[in-house]
Amino acid sequence: MTQRISKYKRFMMMNPIVQFFKFIYLSIKVLIVVAGGHGGTRNV
Amino acid sequence: MAKIVVLGAGVSGHVAASHLRRKLSKEHEVVVVSPNGNYQWIPSNIWVGTGRMKPRDILFPLAPLYAKKHIDYKQAKAVSFHPEGDKEEAKPYVLSEYVVGDDKGKREKVTYDYLINATGPKLNFEATEGLFPGKNKTHSVCTYTHAQEAWIELEGLIKEMKQGKKIKILIGTGHAKSTCQGAAFEYILNVEQELRRHKVRDMAEITWISNEYRLGDFGMDGMLMSYGSNIMKSNEMVEMIFEDRGISWILGAAVNKIKDGKAHYETLDGEYKEESYDFAMLIPSFSGHGFKAYDKIGKDITDKLFKGFMIVDADYTPKPYDQWSVQDWPETYQNPSYANIFAPGIAFAPPHSISKPRKSKNGTDITPAPPRTGMPSGITAKLVADNIIEMIKHSNSELHHKGSMGNMGAACIASAGYGMTKGSGVSITTYPIVPDYKKYPDTQGRKLGKTFGTIGLAGHWLKLALHYAFIYKAKMKPFWWLIPE
Repeated sequence: MTQRISKYKRFMMMNPIVQFFKFIYLSIKVLIVVAGGHGGTRNV
Repeated sequence: MAKIVVLGAGVSGHVAASHLRRKLSKEHEVVVVSPNGNYQWIPSNIWVGTGRMKPRDILFPLAPLYAKKHIDYKQAKAVSFHPEGDKEEAKPYVLSEYVVGDDKGKREKVTYDYLINATGPKLNFEATEGLFPGKNKTHSVCTYTHAQEAWIELEGLIKEMKQGKKIKILIGTGHAKSTCQGAAFEYILNVEQELRRHKVRDMAEITWISNEYRLGDFGMDGMLMSYGSNIMKSNEMVEMIFEDRGISWILGAAVNKIKDGKAHYETLDGEYKEESYDFAMLIPSFSGHGFKAYDKIGKDITDKLFKGFMIVDADYTPKPYDQWSVQDWPETYQNPSYANIFAPGIAFAPPHSISKPRKSKNGTDITPAPPRTGMPSGITAKLVADNIIEMIKHSNSELHHKGSMGNMGAACIASAGYGMTKGSGVSITTYPIVPDYKKYPDTQGRKLGKTFGTIGLAGHWLKLALHYAFIYKAKMKPFWWLIPE
């Protein structure tokens, strides 16, 4: 096992308060990517 | 009045049937033919496989829902396709065979005006000698029954580890051309977390085995992504996670035989090796169902409909890798020979892989197959339903709704461990799914910003929220259609 994620980073990854805001941000960002539309590629 | 038959009631078939029923008046008939009695939310199978959810949490019976929503449901399997009818039946039909009840074994010609083939993949365990869930210490999480069996076995091993036994765990792909590395990736991280939770992590050696050339390929040729304020390759991110969790890896491996707790595999260097294990979860290759098709006089026309999976509006001309383009990928999922047949989701035959094809020194093709599960399945099913609705309502044959995987984004919210405070998730979005190297030449075919990755507790919450949201949507509860595919 090699520590590749620093203690500070891990704290940020697992802190419920920080992650609550991240959850809101992620939900919106995922929605933008997913519901942002799709289409063809042949006539663009 | 039109009759639309949907074969399959998985993510793709169920989405298509739901939208058709909602948008078409009752004079039009929507029929679902599926051998499965339950709808299952497959992305949560990994939690059944680690004992954190029960099968009942991820499934519900289809018959009561379809009866309530006026969708005709036949619990039957498709046997053969007759797109021109036959001498006795003028309308096109699918020969189906009932699989349960008094009608079990009875065959019926299910006629249609429009057909949506959403039969998904056949889990082709037979393609790898000795690979079968529950045998030779190998397991699968491809269905909830497989996942449940995997957890029973793993739970037993955890008890043995608590008594001092050291074990080896092998998770990944079980064939040179398997896809769905994402599911195996989630499972290995969840298993690792469960072992830590049970305080037996130091008793297990965990190894990832995969047909990918690099970690983080996921059958999509890997990706360059935004990661915080940095730009990172997916292989670097997965490598960081695996090293941090003490997971070792074997790449470019074509598993070809499972015997006596050993996975035999060939490497891209042409070497034949073996890896022993006490518990393995290996994703099999996916294949078509081997359906046959016949014309009006009974002549075999299977090659007009199928190329393993169903032929759609893709460019299937064989080409070298450097000539592949996003334009090869289908846009409408319509069969070119029969305009009233469509195949969204995993049921369509891809033009080629997304990852760069590679052969071993012995000539074995070791290339991940392209993933079409989850979100692409839902999106393509909805656009197929929308095109059929327009064809019915406006009697036109032009298809306005298009959705190529070369112009479609996808999100992969991979669980990295269950728990409201101890859980974790690796959230990755990618746009487009099939890299467009001409449009995005400097970022490996993807649009940065829309292709990003992040790790943390929020990812677990998001995956859990999606679990409940999509089951709500699948149950067609009030305003279900507001939830995107």
